[in-house]
Amino acid sequence: MNTTRTITFTLNGAPVTTTVGLHQHLVEVLHAQGLTGAREACAQGLCGCCTVLVNGIAVSGCLYLAVFADKADVKTIEYSPEGKLDAVQESFIECGAFQCGYCTPGFVLMVRQLLDEQLDPSDDDIKHYLAGNLCRCATYPEVVKAVKLAAKKRKVAA
Amino acid sequence: MTPFELAEPRSLREAAVLLTNGGEPAHAIAGGTALMLMMKAGVFQPKRLVSLRAIEPQHSEINVLPGGGLRIGAMATLRSLERSVLVKQAAPVITRTLKTLSNVRVRNVATLGGHLAHGDPHMDLPPVLTALGAHVRTLSPAGERTLAVGEVYTGYYETCLADDELIAELIVPPQTGWRSAYFKITTRAADDWPTLGIAVALRMEANVVREARLVVSAATNTPTRLSAAAGVLLGATPDAAILARCGDAAFAEVELVGDVHGSAPYKQELLRVYVARAIRGALVDRL
Ligand SMILES: Cc1cc2nc3c(=O)[nH]c(=O)nc-3n(C[C@H](O)[C@H](O)[C@H](O)COP(=O)(O)OP(=O)(O)OC[C@H]3O[C@@H](n4cnc5c(N)ncnc54)[C@H](O)[C@@H]3O)c2cc1C
Ligand code: FES
Ligand code: FES
Repeated sequence: MNTTRTITFTLNGAPVTTTVGLHQHLVEVLHAQGLTGAREACAQGLCGCCTVLVNGIAVSGCLYLAVFADKADVKTIEYSPEGKLDAVQESFIECGAFQCGYCTPGFVLMVRQLLDEQLDPSDDDIKHYLAGNLCRCATYPEVVKAVKLAAKKRKVAA
Repeated sequence: MTPFELAEPRSLREAAVLLTNGGEPAHAIAGGTALMLMMKAGVFQPKRLVSLRAIEPQHSEINVLPGGGLRIGAMATLRSLERSVLVKQAAPVITRTLKTLSNVRVRNVATLGGHLAHGDPHMDLPPVLTALGAHVRTLSPAGERTLAVGEVYTGYYETCLADDELIAELIVPPQTGWRSAYFKITTRAADDWPTLGIAVALRMEANVVREARLVVSAATNTPTRLSAAAGVLLGATPDAAILARCGDAAFAEVELVGDVHGSAPYKQELLRVYVARAIRGALVDRL
């Protein structure tokens, strides 16, 4: 019975080849690569702490088989080609949109996706899009402010 | 999760063959969102999985059929349906339903085929597609068949699909003259699992209802047609009195079951009230 596979993927821009258990999910494999930005919290697709981009699409790493990422482009919160914070991260800091920060990587990745899809989301759009991200410190009002600020910053930069 | 083997066939036909010919019985996996939950909880411990992710790309496509119906491949993600202009034009009720069906990341990965085959009676699309008169086309080594979506479900997490039978595509008939709505009643967030789901499709001539399909879900073992309530609507103009009678008829004709999302008596009362609201929603069907 062959229950492992050697997979190759691009992780934050660099090629990775690694052998995974076919039953392992993506967060486990990222941790083995030393990346802890995506972390398993609810473990059932509800909280967004494990958000990872696979071929540019946000997935819950806790529900995503690592083998499905074979040959894919994988990006995590650690990806920072310019080595500095982006508009979304700056806005989260300026608005104090976190307390413990455990949920923040997932929020930041999801907000980037939201703003890629909608330049100027309304409060409702924001709440709706982020319904699958939970913050136990309850920073939701600040998160909504941060998204709006980030939308503005992106517009100014564009 | 316990270790398993994984096959990744290049065609749906090959996948169906692999489900039964490999000695150990195998199970299909598409997006994996539903199966991962079951595997993580330990209630499902497969020895072999057959991934549908490498099958022919046409199984992810959404097409309009001559006459205005839709053909949607089983591997289309829920997110691709949500964002499809074709779906929005042909059946806006599907687009609306998807907005509160779980969260963006799950919809990014979950497939229509997995959604339809899972058999959890809380799922949102089966009642809607039943009301729309949609069908699935399936494929197995024994051949192909077409089933009404409403026929797929035989019990709690049970479907009539054979072990080696896969859903290939969904066919939604043209909705010309029909108006539809789905009301998902949740007790926590709007995108939570429903406490009760009610789908309504009405064929109207001027203000008169000529055909009606009402379906209740999430409080029954399978999506269930409400025929007595639908009968009240036939030939009638749905005013306040008719809607009240319709709610009473629904209340009387079905016995709902309780779960963590609400007790049976609570759901039964919701049904009476929300049947009328869902019909009103259908009358103003738009995005
Ligand atoms: C956090 C979370 C919240 C959710 N909330 C909701 C909600 O509010 N409303 C709702 O309706 N749903 C909800 N869901 C369920 C979600 O819709 C399903 O998990 C998803 O649609 C399953 O699709 P999949 O492709 O991931 O299926 P998989 O997990 O891959 O498969 C599910 C089942 O379908 C079978 N299968 C897959 N493809 C086929 C095929 N082509 N033919 C035959 N059998 C097939 C598999 O063998 C398996 O038995 C939620 C799920 C999660 C994780
Ligand atoms: S840990 Fe994956 S969504 Fe919560
Ligand atoms: S900042 Fe603590 S969980 Fe969100």
